[in-house]
Amino acid sequence: MKTLGVDVGSRYVKLAAFDGEELLFAEKLDTIKFYTLCRHAGKVDISRLPVFLEKGFAYERVVSTGYGRYNVRIEGSAVISEIKAHTLGAAYQSGLSDFTLLDLGGQDTKVVRVRGGEVDDFVMNDKCAAGSGRYLENIATILGITPEELAGHTDKPVPLSATCAIFGESEVVGALAEGADIGHICAGANLSVAQRLAPLARRYGSDKYVITGGVACNGGVLEFLGEKLGAELIVPRHPLFNGAIGCALEAAAVNA
Amino acid sequence: MRRVGITTTIPAEFIFAAGGVPVDLNNIFIADAAPMGMLERAERGGLPRAVCGWIKGMYGAALAANVESVIAVSDGDCSHTRSLAEILGTEGVKSIPFAYPYDRDYGLLKRQMDKLAAFFGITFADAEAMMRRMDRIRKKLHRIDEMTWRENTVTGFENHLFLVSASDMDGDMERFEQKVDAFMAEAAAREPLPQTIRLAYIGVPPIFTDIYQFLETRGARVIFNEVQRQFTFPFETGDLVERYRRYTYPYDVFSRVRDIEAEISRRGVHGVVHYVQSFCHHQMEDVVFRKHLAGLPLLTVEGDAPGPLDARTRLRIEGFCEMLGSKRRKAAS
Repeated sequence: MKTLGVDVGSRYVKLAAFDGEELLFAEKLDTIKFYTLCRHAGKVDISRLPVFLEKGFAYERVVSTGYGRYNVRIEGSAVISEIKAHTLGAAYQSGLSDFTLLDLGGQDTKVVRVRGGEVDDFVMNDKCAAGSGRYLENIATILGITPEELAGHTDKPVPLSATCAIFGESEVVGALAEGADIGHICAGANLSVAQRLAPLARRYGSDKYVITGGVACNGGVLEFLGEKLGAELIVPRHPLFNGAIGCALEAAAVNA
Repeated sequence: MRRVGITTTIPAEFIFAAGGVPVDLNNIFIADAAPMGMLERAERGGLPRAVCGWIKGMYGAALAANVESVIAVSDGDCSHTRSLAEILGTEGVKSIPFAYPYDRDYGLLKRQMDKLAAFFGITFADAEAMMRRMDRIRKKLHRIDEMTWRENTVTGFENHLFLVSASDMDGDMERFEQKVDAFMAEAAAREPLPQTIRLAYIGVPPIFTDIYQFLETRGARVIFNEVQRQFTFPFETGDLVERYRRYTYPYDVFSRVRDIEAEISRRGVHGVVHYVQSFCHHQMEDVVFRKHLAGLPLLTVEGDAPGPLDARTRLRIEGFCEMLGSKRRKAAS
């Protein structure tokens, strides 16, 4: 059966198309562009996206998750929570059933204790952007580089606050004024994110952490985090599409 | 009639016995048509952003509610209350400090009450007589609580609303009792609510306006409101001092843990929502609750300003209810 998973994020909408247990393709679209293309007569009709025509794909069932789910009812779609979507995606992608999932998104950090492939318990970050993907993006913008350029640095980290994203930004400006090396500032930003994440991740201490979300693509953060947690960090093949993959799998399971 | 503001539950017996009207400033704030306006008034007055929304709301409420004085709980609640009382003093609102002794010392608590009696020009015995009158209503509130978890005819929000009102009995005992009677009669005639996930709500009352209602849309119902229930003094004692000694909220967290544990097991609770207020010292107690209530899933929800739940908090609640639902289905199969 052909299923589609949709993860409506604040920055991107992620799609995962499956045939049974096999991932056919994964796509991401700018969220604003997604609405422009799909909104029609007061409804969001996802079948209008050109990607389906290009790939010759027609889904039988669709499940969605993400921030858009309250305001946007995708035609024909069932809705599940992000916690469930990410857990299903991470269990599928890692082939594990007992692990701690760390989903590091643009705004949210989710830490989920997974047992037998299901959510056993979870915690999320408090109302603050420190330690989030958005924080790393902002720091990159201040430094005039891309988030990808910021990602790799771990050498001689400049001490930056892990308490507040805004103070963190002004500290970056201060460090620049004092003549600090940009690479060392990048390392400092990566370290501050890891410092913020580690205590939350330790709530569900594990020997295996599966890391998903955009921040999973930042090697610097992962290196610092791995040191702090002293555990194996597993980044699946499609960290960005993990939620969408979970949705597509749920679509197949519900029908089974 | 003397209108006396209160910053949390205090022995309202002394105010009523003196013929005064207790006004719980928290209730005035949150029940206002535009509570955000009261909070903003406090910020305009110079209160910092990083101060609890309840404190700022009470500041606005005290100025709006036309109270001649405020009984400010200076020990056993938030230490911000002391500064609040001092700032209100600059606005011409007199404050009377009331301290719950942390070690529950009987003599010290009695002295605090004697001070209230002197302030209001009544005797301790007057307050004791008033306690017996108030207990008649409190017993009815205990019954509403029982109807919530045993008969399942009262919603989590209704339970919250009636129990939280026990602090000042809406300032008018007779009218409040009539309201309670009418509600009980109406609820008694109801069919039991559908069996859903049974939740305990622990922590201070929520600043969110729709958390109980939202939980119910996710197939979960609050059947135990911890602090609100404490406002009704759900234990037998005819001794006025002893009553306020056994009240858990102003003292150590461990007596609250024991109370919560007992109620959770009695009421058949599936999960716990721990509400914390941004910038509140009670936030730290989350550590203790997570250790002591380890057998039950616990979701910590943080609120800042009055209004409906934000998207992120809804997401958390949704994930939590989904998880509890799937655990229950698994246990049943």
